[in-house]
Amino acid sequence: MSELAQLLANGLVTGSIIAIAAIGLTLVYGILGIVNFAHGEYLAFGAFIAFAVNVTLGWPIAGSIVFAMVATAMLGLGLEYGLWRPLRRRGAKVVALLLVSIGLALVLRHVIFLVWGATPRRFDVDVFQVYDLGGVIRLSLTQITAVSIAFAAILLVGLTLARTKLGKSMRAYSDNSALASVSGIDVDRITAYTWVLGAGLAGLGGVLLGLVQGSFNPNMGFTLLLPIFAAVILGGVGSAYGSLVGGVGLGLAMELSTWNALAGGVDPVYKPVVAFAILILALLVRPQGLFGKARYV
Amino acid sequence: MSSSGPILKVSRVEKHFGGIAAVDGATLDVARGSITALIGPNGAGKTTLFNVVSGFYRPERGEILFEGERIDRRSPHSIAQRGLVRTFQITKALTKMTVLENVMLAARNQPGEHLWQIVLRPGSARRREREVAERARELLRFVHLERLADDYAGTLSGGQRKLLEFARALMTEPRMVLLDEPMAGVNPTLGLELLERMKALQVDLGMTFLLIEHDMEVVMSVSERVIVMNEGRVIADGPPGEVQRDQRVIDAYLGTGAAAAAGGMGR
Amino acid sequence: MTAPLLATTIASPSFWAFVGVVAGIYTIFALGLQLQFGFTGLLNFGHVAFMAISAYTMAILIVKVEAPMWAAAPAGIAVAMVFGLLIGLPTLRLRADYLAITTIAFGEIVRYVALNQDGLTGGPIGTINLKGSGTSASYNGDWLAFQGKVQHALETVFGDMGKDTAMLAIVWTVAIALIVAMQVLVKAPWGRVLRSIREDEDAASSLGKNVFAYKLQALALGAALAAVAGLFFAFQFSFFSPQDFDPLTTFFGYIIVILAGTARNWAVPVGAVIFGVIFAGTRFFEFPPFTYFGSADRAYLRLIVVGLILIGLMAFRPQGLLGKREEMVLE
Ligand SMILES: Nc1ncnc2c1ncn2[C@@H]1O[C@H](COP(=O)(O)OP(=O)(O)O)[C@@H](O)[C@H]1O
Ligand SMILES: [Mg+2]
Repeated sequence: MSELAQLLANGLVTGSIIAIAAIGLTLVYGILGIVNFAHGEYLAFGAFIAFAVNVTLGWPIAGSIVFAMVATAMLGLGLEYGLWRPLRRRGAKVVALLLVSIGLALVLRHVIFLVWGATPRRFDVDVFQVYDLGGVIRLSLTQITAVSIAFAAILLVGLTLARTKLGKSMRAYSDNSALASVSGIDVDRITAYTWVLGAGLAGLGGVLLGLVQGSFNPNMGFTLLLPIFAAVILGGVGSAYGSLVGGVGLGLAMELSTWNALAGGVDPVYKPVVAFAILILALLVRPQGLFGKARYV
Repeated sequence: MSSSGPILKVSRVEKHFGGIAAVDGATLDVARGSITALIGPNGAGKTTLFNVVSGFYRPERGEILFEGERIDRRSPHSIAQRGLVRTFQITKALTKMTVLENVMLAARNQPGEHLWQIVLRPGSARRREREVAERARELLRFVHLERLADDYAGTLSGGQRKLLEFARALMTEPRMVLLDEPMAGVNPTLGLELLERMKALQVDLGMTFLLIEHDMEVVMSVSERVIVMNEGRVIADGPPGEVQRDQRVIDAYLGTGAAAAAGGMGR
Repeated sequence: MTAPLLATTIASPSFWAFVGVVAGIYTIFALGLQLQFGFTGLLNFGHVAFMAISAYTMAILIVKVEAPMWAAAPAGIAVAMVFGLLIGLPTLRLRADYLAITTIAFGEIVRYVALNQDGLTGGPIGTINLKGSGTSASYNGDWLAFQGKVQHALETVFGDMGKDTAMLAIVWTVAIALIVAMQVLVKAPWGRVLRSIREDEDAASSLGKNVFAYKLQALALGAALAAVAGLFFAFQFSFFSPQDFDPLTTFFGYIIVILAGTARNWAVPVGAVIFGVIFAGTRFFEFPPFTYFGSADRAYLRLIVVGLILIGLMAFRPQGLLGKREEMVLE
């Protein structure tokens, strides 16, 4: 029983980070038609910016997180104006943009390698402070903090999308861009905010990933990319809420697959394989995702 | 199978998109060797019906028989191979291939399309390719595109693409052709010629045509029978003159705001 | 590396023979992608897995079953093709972006299995560990014997040459033969069907072409080409490990195809050679500004350059160096 509780807790930790990262990927995919293979690098970028501010400059971690989010949002916005928009103007479509994103992933990842090297890095936080919750679950303070921040962010994003004018326009645009652009929605503005939101959340996800992993290197984002894609597809491409559910569900599935009661469970080294297998199965059974035709609510 | 009786029978076919019924229990049949027109206001479900009959959409209900055989569970290629070929309202010219290649692609019985045959019988593939090229040029001459044979199909105008699709459909040696607005954008003289050739193919080869067409004059001149659809159903069926006077048909066109002046129901 | 040593490396025929062999292997690998992506439009991002499957199958059969190389090598190709069919059956109906994601996931599954099933694959250490720790396993005895014979034959005809010329000759003979074979296939009506599928599946199926069957053929045949590349890769490096088969290798294949020009078989070796020179050649640029960077940093720089090339090509010359703009199909 306590094993199960522990796995559930771990699953929530992993899942909430996947979910945070998946929101940006799914919005950019749904709204701009970019299947962004560089999204993992946005996470790594966020983590390393936070590392620089937190460890190199000695800022507290909270400030570092905010700084990293802003920096990653700026990166997202800069690339939109410097790369994606000119490409779209030239008529580049899904496959061309996808291949560009692979090139971008190579560039970003290895710039990070070039600047920070391959040595595993850690944030300046106390990773040894561990809490016993009800005597069954043990989570470190950083894990508890990370999952709380993740869920707070999820809630905030959910409210933004559901309640604000901007959020509603984003959903409308993702649903039917042709209709939205004739109905007076300012497409350029939506696009910019999509990147700010998506990349900012990716930056946050990267820092949180670094926190729960303890140590991280520039490959961290690419390693998590396929589970993030799996969450996006599970939730239905373009659906922010779907990707949240997909992300948390996937995190839980990855952890629970190792549960002893399940015929001994899967060897933990195969946790990513569980995510890939779920992804492939999901696409085969329901290519439109669990939540139907890419609708938000 | 049966060489008498209708070549195509559609019974109570339904196809929904989300909440709306694009085809809502349509029933019709098409006589062998006929030229039948399918008309109806925009959004009546004509194109959707073509998509269902040609296997691109799977109907939720109903059945479709071609030459007495169920085809409503078959894939598009196997329906086409059986001799039921369609063209598209929004043309699907292969723009990155030449006009000639577009037509040659449609040939049947080309051993060169099978990997093992290329290895085992390279000669027969090449021989067939020559026949195919010759026949393709003939068909291009027929639709007046022979001068453009070696141009990329992407350079063709909308009307020319319609003609290309017509030639391509004929290249498959079909028994029946579904034409979705084949005259749209085609210059009127050429359009008339196309109708003549359709008649000739009908008379000489017994080919069957079902065509979606808005121009009543065209419909009157070419088809002995008109089927009218509205809101996913067949609402009238008979000789053109009769159908034109049918009150339900007039109402259907009036209901959509389209002019239903005598003699012309479309644009 | 000191300057004189560098000079000998750059001048050394064996270094350039090595670059040539790697370019030849990449040519064969990318030729498979050319068929799948360039001609058929299939966005297969798990190509490296077929390479891994054939290399591992061969090595395992030789080391564990003591199969002769002449049986183990074809078995490797056959197993890779079977996997091509198996992964194709459920995925080839998916749209391009989903196919890309499922195939990259498939490739990663293969790599994870190779990494973690030590008993079968030797695990992270690689094939040298195929007999367990303590003994070092080798699978290329038969191959080296064959290569020696070819070398000897070459020397009797052309006189003394570098010791790597046999491998160079073998790889490029096979590469050119395969290019010719692929050219024959795509020039046949079969290739016309593939190109029609690449542009518009619905048009192809409306004309009676079994789109799915053609995609499956392209995937399996492309897998076989990757498998051949995998065998040569194994022979060239005499041992290998799962890290050799990360997704980057597949992306390199794409860069070669795009650099060369999609749907251009004979352009593939041009792309591969350019890529090989950028990749291997830049290791030895011992002058500023390169000297400001250590060797690890230079590896990162190389990958940055490769990424920029891919972005630049897609932005300014999507048809590649030798392709035709009119025939470009990228949705
Ligand atoms: N792929 C589709 N998805 C959703 N709705 C569709 C689709 N195709 C057609 N429809 C709807 O079905 C109805 C019938 O359309 P269609 O068959 O194109 O009519 P017609 O060809 O008679 O003008 C229309 O309301 C149209 O909007
Ligand atoms: Mg229509």
